[in-house]
Amino acid sequence: MTQGFRNWTRRGVLATGVAMSLALGAMSPAAAQTPPGVLIIGQIAEPKALDPAAVTAVNDFRILMNVYDGLVRYKSGTLEVEPALATDWDISEDGTVYTFHLREGVKFHDGSDFDAEAVKFNFDRMLKEDHPFHDTGPFPLAFFFSSVEEVSVVDPMTVEFTLNAPYAPFLSNLAYPTGLIVSPAAVEQSGGDFGRNPSGTGPFRFAEWKSNEHVILNANPDYWDGAPASETLVFRPITDANTRTAEMLAGGIDLMVEVPPVALSEFEGDRYKVFEQAGPHVWFLILNAKEGPFADKRVRQAANYAVDKTALVDNVLEGTAEVAAGPTPPAFAWAYNEDLEPYPYDPEKARTLLGEAGNEHPEVTFFVTEGGSGMLDPIAMGTAIQADLKAVGFDVKIETYEWNTFLGEVNPGLEGKADMAEMAWMTNDPDTLPYLALRSDAWPDKGGFNSGYYSNAEVDTLLEEARVATDQDERARLYKKMQTIVQEDAPWLFVANWKQNAVASEAVENFALEPSFFLLLKDVAKN
Amino acid sequence: MTQFLALLLRNRLAAAGGIVLLVVVVLAVLTPVLPLANPDATDTANRFQPALSRAHLLGTDHLGRDLLSRLLWGTRLSLAVGFAAAIFAATLGAAIGIIAGYFGGRTDNLIMRGVDMLMAFPYILLALAIVAALGPGLGNALIAVAAVNIPFFARNIRGVTVGLAHKEFVDAARLSGLGHGRIILTEILPNVVPVIVIAMSTTIGWMILETAGLSFLGLGSQPPQADLGSMLGEARSALITNPLTSIVPGAMILVIVMGINLLGDGVRDALDPRLRSGALTRPMPATRVDRPTPPPAETEEGGAVLALSDLQTQFHVKKRVYKAVGGASLAVRPGECLGIIGESGSGKSVTALSVMGLVASPPGVITAGAARYDGQDLIGARYETLRRLRGDRIAYIFQDPLATLHPLYKVGDQLVEAIRCHRTVSKAEAWQRAIDLLKQVRIPNAESRASSFPHEMSGGMRQRVGIAMAMANDPDVIIADEPTTALDVTVQAQILSLLNDLRRERGLAIVFITHDFGVVGQLCDRIAVMYAGRIVEQGPTEAILTTPAHPYTRRLIACVPELGEGRRKLEAIPGLPPAVDRLDPGCAFAPRCEKARAACLTGEIALAGSGQRAVRCLFPETEIPSEQSA
Amino acid sequence: MTGYILKRLLSAIPVLLGITVIVFLIMALIPGDPALAILGSYATPENVAKLNRDLGLDAPLVARYFIWLGNMLQGDFGQSFALNRPVLDEVLERFSATLLLAGVSFVLCAVLGIAAGVISAARQYGMADKAITFVVLLGISIPSFFLGMMMILIFAVDLRWFPVSGMKMAYGGGGFVDVARHLVMPALALSVVATGVVARLSRGAMLEVLRQDYIRTARAKGVGEGRVIWGHALRSAMVSIIPVLGIQAGFVLSGAVYIEMVFQWPGVGRMLVDAILKRDILLVQGGVVFVAACYVLFNIAVDVAQSLLDPRIKT
Repeated sequence: MTQGFRNWTRRGVLATGVAMSLALGAMSPAAAQTPPGVLIIGQIAEPKALDPAAVTAVNDFRILMNVYDGLVRYKSGTLEVEPALATDWDISEDGTVYTFHLREGVKFHDGSDFDAEAVKFNFDRMLKEDHPFHDTGPFPLAFFFSSVEEVSVVDPMTVEFTLNAPYAPFLSNLAYPTGLIVSPAAVEQSGGDFGRNPSGTGPFRFAEWKSNEHVILNANPDYWDGAPASETLVFRPITDANTRTAEMLAGGIDLMVEVPPVALSEFEGDRYKVFEQAGPHVWFLILNAKEGPFADKRVRQAANYAVDKTALVDNVLEGTAEVAAGPTPPAFAWAYNEDLEPYPYDPEKARTLLGEAGNEHPEVTFFVTEGGSGMLDPIAMGTAIQADLKAVGFDVKIETYEWNTFLGEVNPGLEGKADMAEMAWMTNDPDTLPYLALRSDAWPDKGGFNSGYYSNAEVDTLLEEARVATDQDERARLYKKMQTIVQEDAPWLFVANWKQNAVASEAVENFALEPSFFLLLKDVAKN
Repeated sequence: MTQFLALLLRNRLAAAGGIVLLVVVVLAVLTPVLPLANPDATDTANRFQPALSRAHLLGTDHLGRDLLSRLLWGTRLSLAVGFAAAIFAATLGAAIGIIAGYFGGRTDNLIMRGVDMLMAFPYILLALAIVAALGPGLGNALIAVAAVNIPFFARNIRGVTVGLAHKEFVDAARLSGLGHGRIILTEILPNVVPVIVIAMSTTIGWMILETAGLSFLGLGSQPPQADLGSMLGEARSALITNPLTSIVPGAMILVIVMGINLLGDGVRDALDPRLRSGALTRPMPATRVDRPTPPPAETEEGGAVLALSDLQTQFHVKKRVYKAVGGASLAVRPGECLGIIGESGSGKSVTALSVMGLVASPPGVITAGAARYDGQDLIGARYETLRRLRGDRIAYIFQDPLATLHPLYKVGDQLVEAIRCHRTVSKAEAWQRAIDLLKQVRIPNAESRASSFPHEMSGGMRQRVGIAMAMANDPDVIIADEPTTALDVTVQAQILSLLNDLRRERGLAIVFITHDFGVVGQLCDRIAVMYAGRIVEQGPTEAILTTPAHPYTRRLIACVPELGEGRRKLEAIPGLPPAVDRLDPGCAFAPRCEKARAACLTGEIALAGSGQRAVRCLFPETEIPSEQSA
Repeated sequence: MTGYILKRLLSAIPVLLGITVIVFLIMALIPGDPALAILGSYATPENVAKLNRDLGLDAPLVARYFIWLGNMLQGDFGQSFALNRPVLDEVLERFSATLLLAGVSFVLCAVLGIAAGVISAARQYGMADKAITFVVLLGISIPSFFLGMMMILIFAVDLRWFPVSGMKMAYGGGGFVDVARHLVMPALALSVVATGVVARLSRGAMLEVLRQDYIRTARAKGVGEGRVIWGHALRSAMVSIIPVLGIQAGFVLSGAVYIEMVFQWPGVGRMLVDAILKRDILLVQGGVVFVAACYVLFNIAVDVAQSLLDPRIKT
């Protein structure tokens, strides 16, 4: 029926339009297919820069991972670290000194050699304010390496990192795009424009960047890990999800990421392949635990009970996400607490809790964003959540903001402005999100992202301990305990863990999504 | 007001738009009491239900909300915002415009520079910036849309106010010591209101579109509340899979804005006095001919180059029929000059224009009779036949050459065009001929004058150009429609003698239309006097001037000042010529005639006479031997 | 004439200066921070403040204005915070795309609008008039973004006649035919409203002109109807159509924002919207001043065209 109506409406509009187009001498049907060997990727936005140290968005990472290598990388299909530009490494007993042995004979795209000096240059540029090229920043993710005290060149092929304290996520952070190694020669040459003239060691070389049109990469036949399967990658920024879908359907792009859930049904059938991969992502609502109704734990729990998360992920998100149980996504399998059950959908219980709290009709202001990194379908989700909360007695007022403005409102803290706000994080280590957003020392005024002012001394201790523990089992135990406490305290309304998706045309081969949310295209071919 | 409504309703399109809009508005107003589903109640399991599904007449949206309910609530919101923005913008814009226009000078300059600046600023960006500064929300979107439209109103209203500020009644108010505030409120504002209303009616649809646009960009209403624009914006991501959710609000916007535009056009038409008369119609290339009766047979009157027989031309305005020419029969021979004389509105010009189908049509229709040139009936002739004869064999000279010459073409070019319409000659040749023509009509410095524009010439010069244009192709007949009325006496005499010379030299026939017996005497061989669309008397000039037979003719001649008589004995004719849409039977002049008797008002009075003389009167001033004349 | 143009150019200077003040103030008053766009999700208030210092945004307002104006007068529009490249480079690149789109749309709206208006007037109350009037009404009533969305759905996705979005093929594109094919839908969608407005106005102007005595004179001369309409009448009607074309140019330029969004056209409208949202202050300021300057210049050109057409206008 839906299909029938759709065709009917289309035909209706079609009839009115066809005459006009014919009169204009419409050209022959488009041969939209792009040549084989050239892979065209529909991106969700224009990249900010192609300097790995300067960017934060997954959208930019998708390009960068194909231009640069790090010392280490995630093993395909996992979040485990494996050698890349470093062939192997040693960690000192106390976990504060990391010595990397570098891969021989690797050259940057600009022809300069990759060596220990280059590695030192990269980290000093990011971390040392007196470095001559520190002004090519800012480097918003430099804090990933804030524990690094010194990077020293042992010999041309050996480099040593000294940390001020043991820091468990260090290797994982090195595999993150912020740890990608850029060509010092290219930075020296381009200075502040390096972000538009990138040079790395990766499988593809940068060729062209036209604002809002495309970024083109060409294959690097001399790549140390074997020549890539495609000649050329073209990244097209298509901000509008609907237009992106239309491009995919019309053959204007070969591969698109972040397919809007509602559009997935269009790609059933043989002409397309749909990919899905869970990753370390959490979609949640920050609840303002400092003031207003959510200062009461029972009201926070009531909100968690009131929202039908299953309906959200199955219907609004068309099954592109799973219900989240706590602050840590299941993608961090070793650190994830399997025993944790999500808050069930139980409006009665929510009403009871509100009654107990003596606040049967809490009035709350809800910050919603229009879109943003990992935010899925924030307006629709926000609206659905609002309706669910309303059903149990909440009076929710939504205010929507464009992503950057939204961050400007949310990151400095919700106090005095709002009671809840949408948020989503994609991280590479179970440490990152809770450490940055749940500790008492991570309140906005202390430079963190705990915008809801959650504070629990036990959680603080657990997180500090987990960070310096070198044994993974020990870390896992601490994280699992943390998850139980946080779920009970409900500083957030836990909603979903996204399974990222992508659609490729049938001509695309060897493509797979990574749990890291990166887009690795070296072996992807197009016939 | 009632007249305004009547006019509005008479305009069928406007009425249709009004009705559509009324239905939408009524629905929007009634929305809260209609038995609709809760527009915000989500039911994600039942999303994208098709139209006509159970419980959802228009289906559901991406969150399973009832689309019909959301549509009506959204419409309500969009309408409210659109109207509010329009009123807001109109009020502020009008205030600024009136102040600038009324005070003028430096105030005006300063304000209008500011308005210019705002207008040079891309309006969407201005709106975006305002919303960015104020934060999202429908109220702020409203402010933004209104604000960006203020310059438009200010500019429009200023223009009108400037015109009013120096009108007598404003000066009078000022002299009587009224304060500026009072003058603006009591004198200026009432006169500006129609303009404001017109501007509003034409922009309100635009405002709704713009508000929808801002909402579409996500800067308008905040969820779950939605106006039509944000409904469209939210539905967009599902456009390909579920176009219905986009089409429903899109179509509603279309319907509302169309309704508003139709109604707005109607309002404008009804308020604009120029359009109220129904005058804004364009004349067709040739007058419409609707001759139910076969044209009268050719009369035996030999030698006429142009002969009209029983020519009838009417104006059909709505349901009224104005019989401008009620059956005119005339003939003119080569080398002869026939004068047609009468007051304005007597139908003399219409008679002349009917010959070549130049009566504006609509509303003009030629309903009977014939106009024969060399025996060929021009009434109902094919357009191409007419066009070939126009200006070539039968040429016109019109009154008021400032209006009748094209203001944007050089006079030389206009002459060249007249020539090249009918002859294939090179441009250079035609230009030379144009200069010759200008010389013939005694224009000094013809070579340089040919490159002048009409507005650069004096009235007499322009009239000469008009004559030169008529002469361009050496026509057989020239129909001159009051060619000297706008000119002073000396120039008039020059023009008349010029025409006289031309007809003597070339033997062309002239039909000379005028209301001035003084002019007729100098040029015409014969005269026909017209009254209320009919010829009431005709005969040789001398005879009519000395012994007018029709009382009307006599009175008309009495109006003419005699040269050299110092104080002239002016005897105006009391009363006005009759309206030709409701002519009573009998003599049309009877109501103004001193000699009228009961018999004058019963039945048709024939044009009776012998030989050259004829009169249409039962009791003529001078007896004319009775013998039927056509 | 040269003197007139010079005078008009001089009078544009205060307008442009005023625009620099307005856009500067707006950007200064908008809450939000360019630093956020640079730092992304990881922006902490501390980092933001530091970055603002680095960007020189903590200087007094008046000083910032004059520094900016002074630099601009020397041709230095500054560096875009978010894009990390010179504002002028970005604006020029993006403006050329908009110019293509808006230019073609403008020509379309002028040519189609005037033609439709003239035909409509010449055939007043005839079938052509009714059809045109209806289509025009539809055109001025439809939201351009909605039209654009529908066009993509039908002509790109279903029929595949035209590419969905962008200005050229992602790879190996850029030839004339390629760009033309990409241009068809956005240019049409953008021109629809303006075409409608121009058509309505042209019809009115033509009806007005056709009633004039000099049209009767032309007909009385035996000038063919085609020449009467398209020559004599249209030429006079242009006197009132041209100023409206000037205004419509502004609307087309503004409307390009929506169309550029829907069709992913890499134009300046989208750039400015992005820049406003990202608080990319210098890019917004530079872009707006550039666009406004072009608009003002275009309007001067319109006035000059007007005075060339109508000898009665004193220059």
